[in-house]
Amino acid sequence: MTKNQQSRTGTSFVKGVFFLLILGLIGTVGIAQERYTLSGKVTDRLNGETLFGASVYLKGTNLGVITNEYGFYSLTAPAGKYTLIISYIGYEEESREIDLNAPKQLNFELKELSNQLDEVLIEAGEPERALLKKPEMSVAKLNIKTVKQMPVVLGEVDIIKSLQLLPGVTSNGEGSSGFHVRGGAADQNLVLLDEAIIYNTSHMLGFFSVFNADAIKDIKLYKGGIPARFGGRVSSVLDVRQKDGNNKDFGLTGGVGIISSRLAVEGPMFNENGSFLVAGRTSYAHLLLKASGEKNSISFYDLNLKSNYQLNDKNRLYVSGYFGRDLFNFDGSFKIGYGNMSGNLRWNHLFSDKLFSNLSMIYSKYDYELGFALEQFNWQSSINNYHVKYDLKYYLNDKIKLDFGLSGIYYDFDPGRIVPTSETSEVNAMTLDQKKGFESALYVNAEHTLSDALTVQYGLRYSGFNRFGGQPMMTYANDQPVVYNSTLGIYERGEELGETPYDKDETIASFGNVEPRLALAYQFSETSSVKMGFSRAAQYVHLLSSTASVTPLDVWTPSGKYIKPQLSNQYSLGYFKNFKDQIFSLEIEGYYKRVANRIDYIDGANLIGQNTIETEILNGKTRAYGLEFLLRKNEGKFTGWLAYTISKAEQQTPGGKAGGPGINDGNWYNTPYDRTHDISLTGAYQLSEKWSLGASFAFQTGRPVTYPNGQFSYEGLAIANYDDRNANRLPAYHRFDISATWKPNRKPTKRWKGEWVFGIYNLYGRKNAASISFGQNLDTGENEATRTSIFGIVPSFSYNFKF
Amino acid sequence: MKIVIKYLLICHVLMLAACQDVIDLTVPTEPARLVIEGSINWEKNTRGNEQTIKLSMSTPYFETNRTSVVTGADVKIIKNDDGTTFNFVDQGDGLYTTDVFVPEMNQSYTLEVRYEGALYVATETMTAVADIDAVNQSIENGFDKDELEVNIFFTDPLEEGNSYLFKFYRQGDLLPELAYFNDDYVNGNDISWWYEKQEDAETDKREAFAPGDIIEIELYGISKSYYDYISILIDQYWNGGGPFGVTPVGLKGNCINTSNPDKPAYGYFRLSEVVRRQYTFE
Repeated sequence: MTKNQQSRTGTSFVKGVFFLLILGLIGTVGIAQERYTLSGKVTDRLNGETLFGASVYLKGTNLGVITNEYGFYSLTAPAGKYTLIISYIGYEEESREIDLNAPKQLNFELKELSNQLDEVLIEAGEPERALLKKPEMSVAKLNIKTVKQMPVVLGEVDIIKSLQLLPGVTSNGEGSSGFHVRGGAADQNLVLLDEAIIYNTSHMLGFFSVFNADAIKDIKLYKGGIPARFGGRVSSVLDVRQKDGNNKDFGLTGGVGIISSRLAVEGPMFNENGSFLVAGRTSYAHLLLKASGEKNSISFYDLNLKSNYQLNDKNRLYVSGYFGRDLFNFDGSFKIGYGNMSGNLRWNHLFSDKLFSNLSMIYSKYDYELGFALEQFNWQSSINNYHVKYDLKYYLNDKIKLDFGLSGIYYDFDPGRIVPTSETSEVNAMTLDQKKGFESALYVNAEHTLSDALTVQYGLRYSGFNRFGGQPMMTYANDQPVVYNSTLGIYERGEELGETPYDKDETIASFGNVEPRLALAYQFSETSSVKMGFSRAAQYVHLLSSTASVTPLDVWTPSGKYIKPQLSNQYSLGYFKNFKDQIFSLEIEGYYKRVANRIDYIDGANLIGQNTIETEILNGKTRAYGLEFLLRKNEGKFTGWLAYTISKAEQQTPGGKAGGPGINDGNWYNTPYDRTHDISLTGAYQLSEKWSLGASFAFQTGRPVTYPNGQFSYEGLAIANYDDRNANRLPAYHRFDISATWKPNRKPTKRWKGEWVFGIYNLYGRKNAASISFGQNLDTGENEATRTSIFGIVPSFSYNFKF
Repeated sequence: MKIVIKYLLICHVLMLAACQDVIDLTVPTEPARLVIEGSINWEKNTRGNEQTIKLSMSTPYFETNRTSVVTGADVKIIKNDDGTTFNFVDQGDGLYTTDVFVPEMNQSYTLEVRYEGALYVATETMTAVADIDAVNQSIENGFDKDELEVNIFFTDPLEEGNSYLFKFYRQGDLLPELAYFNDDYVNGNDISWWYEKQEDAETDKREAFAPGDIIEIELYGISKSYYDYISILIDQYWNGGGPFGVTPVGLKGNCINTSNPDKPAYGYFRLSEVVRRQYTFE
């Protein structure tokens, strides 16, 4: 699609949005009756944590609102007497009679439902059910309490693994970082921890997620229908929010497990006008390994920090931070260290009871370092970004809520450098070109209640990207970084003509994209609704990874002269129903997603230490479509869900400017994220006051891979020849996990609360293939297929406590 | 950055070794193709007149009988500047030989193979190699600090773009080992290359070097395009389909099938200068 076409559809869309906005304004201006605004905050009674997604509504009317990320709500209604109902998952519903005869500010503190079994969900509140009225679709919201009920591997609650039990979310197999949403790649997920971009979501190559459940308040995954306030990735947004910290009382939570332990401290500050939270985790398996004489070790640690201070009724400051690191040490001769680091300063300001604002200043960094003791050099790589964003929410009237704001991210890429660690090192110092870019965005979004039954959300995001100079760019004969060698039938590097230097203030390339977002919900009965959505998104940074699974050593690269931004269009349609008195809910969604400018790698591409990535890639496109089913039981002693997805994800990579037929002769081929079937069944059962049980089953079609289709003798070796890219599949993946939680007797007056969690991962010990490699047996000379499976049956136990 | 890859492979083996097992698997099979092992090796300070080219057919991947020799083919090499032709004589066992070959440095040659009505053609250049300065042994180098390794010392020439192929063979072993190297990051430097056999305690497939072991070392000078080919071949040989390996690909050599361009021969036609050393561990 050309740039012109894009902007033309963009302008007509802008007009449409404004037309609708004006229509909405006119529709509400004419009403003469006095209206007043009710606003305030909803928090937890015991620890003062703000509640995101609590429902505040006036009984007997259609007027209601959901609290925002900071627990704030604003509701405008005609003057009169009402019963106000405030409800939130796992909390006692609160109702209050109000006489709305002037603007009012009311804060609510909700009480948790169970004071004894505080980790167990007895009754799910609104957010876990199908939300019929909200146009929000393709969203998976998980309360941390729900996550904590699921069976855990290695004694640690894992947010990423829990998400993978939802429809449309898959893993790339055990021992692999990242997750895949609706056939998308791992780098197409925007992962935010308190608004800071997290580039690597795993510790220990996927064994643990980087999110410490003790520090996390809630998790929201947007699989589609991404609101206009998010952008920069084409597949999904995972929005993870840290706890603010208890502002009423000091508290201690922690857990001791086999591989790792964790501890969190929280408490009030500034005379209960603020609070803090510090949470840390560390593994100690490496110490045990060392004691047993093992020379190699793997370890990780991370630290979450959060603090907030309420200046006055209208202003509040937040500081949050995250620091995590993984370390691999191979007998001292080779070391790997990698990790994320982020810091965020936020300022909530209330302009009026209808206008809420938040200003964030965020720094985040991902880096890794390899140390080669013998060769005497280190290899370093990093990505830094500085992010400023300003988001406003305007509760215009009872029909329209507006979100608008702007954002700017400055990226600093250091793809790699060699630092010799001694004078005698054989390796020369080297630095790959430093790359810099600026991603800007401006957005407006309206949630508009058109009638009792019909709610629409329409928004527009304009994003831009400037790739700055300060580095040379290679130019190639005929402007072809990759050339098809028709004699040999292979793609090769283009002929280099020389480097063009770019000054720091010069722009190498710039891009702009209009991203319309549209969603509507039509509730056609008390218990059911249909929803539709469309979203376009642009992605300006890309992860370079030609391996089957993402590794911590993959490098991010910005769009520029040769790599274009990825653009996605996603269409979705869904049916939502609550039944049996809302005990059950059913969600069915279909989606179709196309991504333009998705690169793939030529045969034999060399990405490590590669300064001219453009010589190793071809530009392609992907398409993904599927149907997702989610049946939940939300209440009772037994809760859980059944999720099923049938889907397809393919890529086509023609030769394009390089000439030739392209990858796999220009035919569509499976992406590594294609899973025909994906089933998961998850349940939790409250056996007694002391015992609760959890179980989950997961099944996935095997990952597309490339198998050999023949062999030949060469230089005394048997050499495999391989089939078309991703033309074969690993065997299907499935496993069954169980867990049991035992909470010993404890008096309500006793502050110390402990529980034991026993779990078995992969109960029937299936050897799921993470990969299958092919090679010659060195003794017999015969060819063999060798399966690598990461986890067999893994029992675990941990002790968790709260004080 | 091949050293990085080398280490990643080792990491992966170490981390996951405990969970690997050999399985039965059905893989696709494509029709057999001609394989041309057109390796012209000119040992430094020799005439290089005796040369052999090997022809065979490819077999299904899990076929244990790989002796599918090709006889009755017509094999010759033409020196491109003056058209001198060297005919290779069919020995009846898949080998085609000559003893009148005249190698010339940096000279371009064309290989022509006629077999069953198809003509296969490949063109390559004779590539020089640096001499091996010294060979010694140590235990502190290499990945395992308790095992013996052999160190090979040579000097990379000042001009950029030199590529190397190593072939190691311990007498008594079933299979040789190949390794590739180029002068990216180390151009013009004194190079030391260690080669170690790591004990595989679980399978006993590999045994570390021991005093008395005799190792044959060959260092070949290779062209850039052959480097591209052999580096993929070697990576895939060690890690085809492994978790950190790149997606494996069909190997495309330089022997074009002029009758049917979609079915080129497997293998490669290359001309390399080679230095050979033998080392006995003490």
